[in-house]
Amino acid sequence: MQSNSLVSRYFSMKRESLKHGWALAKKRKVCYLFLAPYAILFFTFFILPICTSIFYGFTYYNILEAPRFVGIQNYINLILQDDVFLTAIKNTFVIAVITGPVGYILSFMFAWFINELPKWLRTIAVVVFYAPSIAGNAYTVFGIIFKGDAYGYLNSILINLGLLDAPNLWLTDPRYMMTVLIVVILWMSMGTGFLSFVAGFQGIDKSMYEAGYVDGIRNRWQELYHITLPSMKPMLLFGAVMSITSAFNVCDVPMALCGYPSTDYAARTVVTHLFDYGFSRFEMGYASAIATLLFIVMIVCKKGISSLLGKVGT
Amino acid sequence: MSEQHTVSSAGTLILVNGKRIRGELVAGEESAAFYSKKSKEPVAQFRYARINRLDNIRHGGTFSTVTVVLKAAENDGQKYSFELNHGLKVYQFIDSHWTDKPVQPKSRADELKRLAELRGETIQKPRKHIFHRRHPNRSIGGDVGIYVLLVLVAVAMGFPLVFAIGSSLKPLDELFRFPPTVLPRHPTLDNFSDLIVTLGQSWVPFSRYLLNTVFITFVGTAGHLIIASMAAFVLAKYDFPGGKLFFGVATTFLMFSGYVTGIPNYLIMSRLRMIDTYWALILPAFAAPIGLFMMKQFMDGLPTALIEAAHIDGAGEFRIFWSIVMPNVKPAWLTMIIFSVQGLWNNPASTVIYSEEKKTLVYALSQIQAGGIARTGQAAAVTVVVMAVPILIFILSQSQILETMASSGIKD
Repeated sequence: MQSNSLVSRYFSMKRESLKHGWALAKKRKVCYLFLAPYAILFFTFFILPICTSIFYGFTYYNILEAPRFVGIQNYINLILQDDVFLTAIKNTFVIAVITGPVGYILSFMFAWFINELPKWLRTIAVVVFYAPSIAGNAYTVFGIIFKGDAYGYLNSILINLGLLDAPNLWLTDPRYMMTVLIVVILWMSMGTGFLSFVAGFQGIDKSMYEAGYVDGIRNRWQELYHITLPSMKPMLLFGAVMSITSAFNVCDVPMALCGYPSTDYAARTVVTHLFDYGFSRFEMGYASAIATLLFIVMIVCKKGISSLLGKVGT
Repeated sequence: MSEQHTVSSAGTLILVNGKRIRGELVAGEESAAFYSKKSKEPVAQFRYARINRLDNIRHGGTFSTVTVVLKAAENDGQKYSFELNHGLKVYQFIDSHWTDKPVQPKSRADELKRLAELRGETIQKPRKHIFHRRHPNRSIGGDVGIYVLLVLVAVAMGFPLVFAIGSSLKPLDELFRFPPTVLPRHPTLDNFSDLIVTLGQSWVPFSRYLLNTVFITFVGTAGHLIIASMAAFVLAKYDFPGGKLFFGVATTFLMFSGYVTGIPNYLIMSRLRMIDTYWALILPAFAAPIGLFMMKQFMDGLPTALIEAAHIDGAGEFRIFWSIVMPNVKPAWLTMIIFSVQGLWNNPASTVIYSEEKKTLVYALSQIQAGGIARTGQAAAVTVVVMAVPILIFILSQSQILETMASSGIKD
């Protein structure tokens, strides 16, 4: 009897909250009107593709024939049979662990330092730091800088200094590839997150710093921790999401610099692997399975980061 | 004062001498008045000089001569102080006329000094420094260190771009010189003129590629700005069922690159018969989650009182959005424009557009870049052309962002 009444109470509460929600929804009809154009487009071009991707992950699909349901065979093959995929995971993990946090911290530190500059200097500095990430495919310049023959810039300098006898194959020797990639990706890491930090620093109410001086905040670090960081939480989370995204979606840079496919697959990342199966071999089912795995990993990472950032400044 | 309306909340007026008067703040279009509980006559009246910068009214801090602390019942006793003097000039209504000069703000330091003098204490004057310091709590050593670090890293960041520009200005013999140089010894624009010649010989005229890209970038960015801002506005400022869930989902989709969704997107677009039209590029750009996210985050910072006030004045949702919210989030929409332009301009779109006359500039240029050794010089020129546009747009709009931000700062 006890449990029965509890259950009925639960459902009546549920019904009550539904009724309340419906009333609120009716009252806020205009909101849905404002949201509708965006929501329709978003559903068509973002949600629907992901759902299709998850679906195709359980099939064998080569575009020409109708998809054939194979259960979790794609996932079993990925983890147990595909050695290249394991290399890709290892590389992506190394790149993500190094460039993600380092790029994030560098973006924040430099946005903070730049904020201390006088206005005209700040304008120049923001452009210099942000330019590499919006410069289209300017990273191909590194192809010349790290070129494997003596005409390559780095080789030429090292040979002239007597540090090298023969040119190093920076982009085709598996020993150097990852290091070079990490350098290039860090060069491009002052991206969206950095810009958001710069805007965030300028948006902080200056009177809070004034209050800080009076209340005895002695140095820049105290000011950073007690005033700046708590005011910048939304930007911090945004920057973190952007860092995770760029760290896990590395694809263009290794393909352009180290070749596709690269020597011994030493520069293969998860997205390069996905690109290979999706756009070159047309094994859509297999590619979709990779996409789904990547999706899950990134969501887990984001959850972890946002709970970590919740503790900042408290 | 017929245009005024009441902010329905009890409040406290704090005067310079520390006296508190309980009453009600009545905020109007051009002025605000504070009524005490006892009298029907306003105790103090304030006129705003610039009503459009309402984001100057922020919570926190107690600095200005006249601070109005509102104790709203629905805010659980949370205090909001309206710093009327910061950026927003305030004229006071004394002896039945407005003051000629705006009310001068007094800093909290001045106030503490005055109180200390009343108690008969002396205040130690801070030591004079050789260098003028903009911030009182910064060490000179730290400042110097930061400058040195910034210069070093800026050189490292700028080097590859300078190298790219240098290469594009080199004549052919210098491109293959050993040891290679960063800057050309005999700079020439030959590579760019060669590029124009090559483009002039192409089957589809160069201007057509340019027009395609400009059209796609312009329409995509304009639509994105309006559609995503409308969605961001209701998500940030109204609580309605499903809103939070929608925003959560959109935030998650920030993390997907084009490759992950590429294949299913193609299948969907072919169903919609959008393949080989500009819409295949423009419509997804309208719904780019990054713009929505950016805008919503910035709109969260807008005071809700601003929108409530407009509601009471009888403004419709669209008027509120267009003439109150949008002008106040200029920095955010400039940021949105940068992201959108960057994405659309750099999109080669080779998978969704097949007709040569509909292809984008970046695609045409990348074909030249793929031309091999003989086109090394032109390829370097292409790199410069492709990177110049987003960087230029960024430089132009960045100055506007800084301008908008600067106008809301404290004027010393």
